[in-house]
Amino acid sequence: MKIAYYPGCLAQSSSKELDLATRWVCRSLGIELVEFPNFSCCGSGFIDEANEVLNIAINARNLAIAEKAGLDVLTICSTCQGMLTLAKVRMQDPKVRARVDAALKPIGIEYKGTAQVKHLLKVLTEDIGLPAVKAKVRRPLHGMKVGAFYGCHLLRPADEMASESAEEPHSFEDLLAAVGATPVDYRGRVMCCGFPIQFVKPSTAYAIAGKQILEAKAHGADAMATPCPLCHLSLDAYQNKASKAVQTPHLDMPIFHLPQVVALAFGASPEELGLSRHLIRTDAALAKVHPSAPA
Amino acid sequence: MTEGTISVPFDVYRYTPGKDTTARYQRYTLDLVPHTPILTALLQIRSEIDPSLGLRYSCRSAICGSCAMQINSKSRLACETQVGPEVARHGRIVVEPMRNQPVIRDLIVDQTRFWREYAKVEPHLKLDPTIPMPAGKPTAMSPAQVERFKETPRCIACAACFSACPAAEADPEFPGPMALAKLYRFAVDPRDTAYRERLERIQPGGLWLCLRCHLCTEACPKDVRPSERIRDLKEMAIAVQGATELGSRHAVGFKENLKGAGQLNEMKLVRATDGLMGMVGQLGQGIRIYRKKPEIMKKPRKIEGMDELDKIYAALDTPPKEGP
Repeated sequence: MKIAYYPGCLAQSSSKELDLATRWVCRSLGIELVEFPNFSCCGSGFIDEANEVLNIAINARNLAIAEKAGLDVLTICSTCQGMLTLAKVRMQDPKVRARVDAALKPIGIEYKGTAQVKHLLKVLTEDIGLPAVKAKVRRPLHGMKVGAFYGCHLLRPADEMASESAEEPHSFEDLLAAVGATPVDYRGRVMCCGFPIQFVKPSTAYAIAGKQILEAKAHGADAMATPCPLCHLSLDAYQNKASKAVQTPHLDMPIFHLPQVVALAFGASPEELGLSRHLIRTDAALAKVHPSAPA
Repeated sequence: MTEGTISVPFDVYRYTPGKDTTARYQRYTLDLVPHTPILTALLQIRSEIDPSLGLRYSCRSAICGSCAMQINSKSRLACETQVGPEVARHGRIVVEPMRNQPVIRDLIVDQTRFWREYAKVEPHLKLDPTIPMPAGKPTAMSPAQVERFKETPRCIACAACFSACPAAEADPEFPGPMALAKLYRFAVDPRDTAYRERLERIQPGGLWLCLRCHLCTEACPKDVRPSERIRDLKEMAIAVQGATELGSRHAVGFKENLKGAGQLNEMKLVRATDGLMGMVGQLGQGIRIYRKKPEIMKKPRKIEGMDELDKIYAALDTPPKEGP
């Protein structure tokens, strides 16, 4: 399949490893990523707070770029997925549509609303399908217990995101099971990572992140995996702060990006996936993979 | 088992502070038709099996908002949640008191904080006493004015949103979704005269702690959509006061951040929100992250078609209008 690749800002900068893993997985599965150097940032939920209509227009422009090429959009970030989808939903309101069109039309941009916005999780579980994913597994992650951490904007508001049950999602766990890992069930999997208020009140943000990690740990997780680089920052890059906030000196919870888990099972090496770029070492989790599994 | 019924195992939270040393879950199994409301089942348990079970309820019709509790970890009204789908999905029904409010007994929680936050937003119209209400006539409102608060008056103050809110859980300063949705309802009422004052008062330590996780909107049985109204309040607050709080500085800073390259410049954003002194405070963590991810210092590549984005900003990033 061929799809417009919307990497988002972080995968092009501090979360470069997410981009590496995405490309690895897509290459293996024959997903052709079409790149558009004119995609802009999605606003990350913050521009939406400052100016809703501007945020919709920015994303209508992004969507129009893919539409013009006749492609759907692939996202690898829950927040990008949420913001692009929200723009599509809000553009159904005639009043909003009129204001945005009035800004886009004079510069030759026509938004039609034809492009679908799909997170990699959805592409893997629905378009490619789990049997095809399973068929590519060379090193099943047997023995590794992974807590899926969905990220809010992939799921909610449920009627607008229309992906799957926001209360009881299971596609991520299904994917983890397909690559041989053991999904861990815990309440925090659909909760917030705290990232949106990291600048407003760090102590509260860190406590929220720490709580989710603690819960995953209490349910036996060797690692957590997330489809969102903002959650990854919160859970990995600031885990030392989260540890302090929940008064647990060493949470030591490895945090994977979703495509890293898949690529590992497909046979990619930790180096190819930039695992050394994580703040929390991942080797303890990797060591859980059953040694008898063929390399 | 009677025809058409299913066997429903309930695990009900039991705890009386001061009497019990720890909470326990008591198993009751009932034969019920699948569409039985969970409240009906709990009342059957209380009348036929265990009269000591503590719960709060009144109307049984999803109007009074008394019977909110956690059902299989989700905050819901017990009177409108049926046993069938819960058993089908979870195999049993775990019934617990709401979160973020201390337990008084079993499923009854102390709602002092919830109601205190409600009272703090002054959930009543503040009219201008110098403008008399027209005698014998209704005060007319345009459809556009009514449109702005079509959802918020539906709130029945059940506290399901407060129970589901991770910000309320982690931070005692956060007013919670319901109080903020109520604040919105009065702020946008054209008869209310305290628009500016309401928005100014809610900002420090309140409004900007919302995580926009939308868990409140998911939990709300009346589709009030508190998270979306909180978003509206944020934009309204910026219009009134500008970027004065850390939260509003970050939102406005992010909006400004895309000018120039069209992509996020991480360092510029930290500086816009925290200022130079704030950056110094985060130096240690910054260096820790930089050593693994040196790109945080890099300027982003300028997107192609930046002129288009500039023109979109020129058309829509106009100074916001203040007022309801």
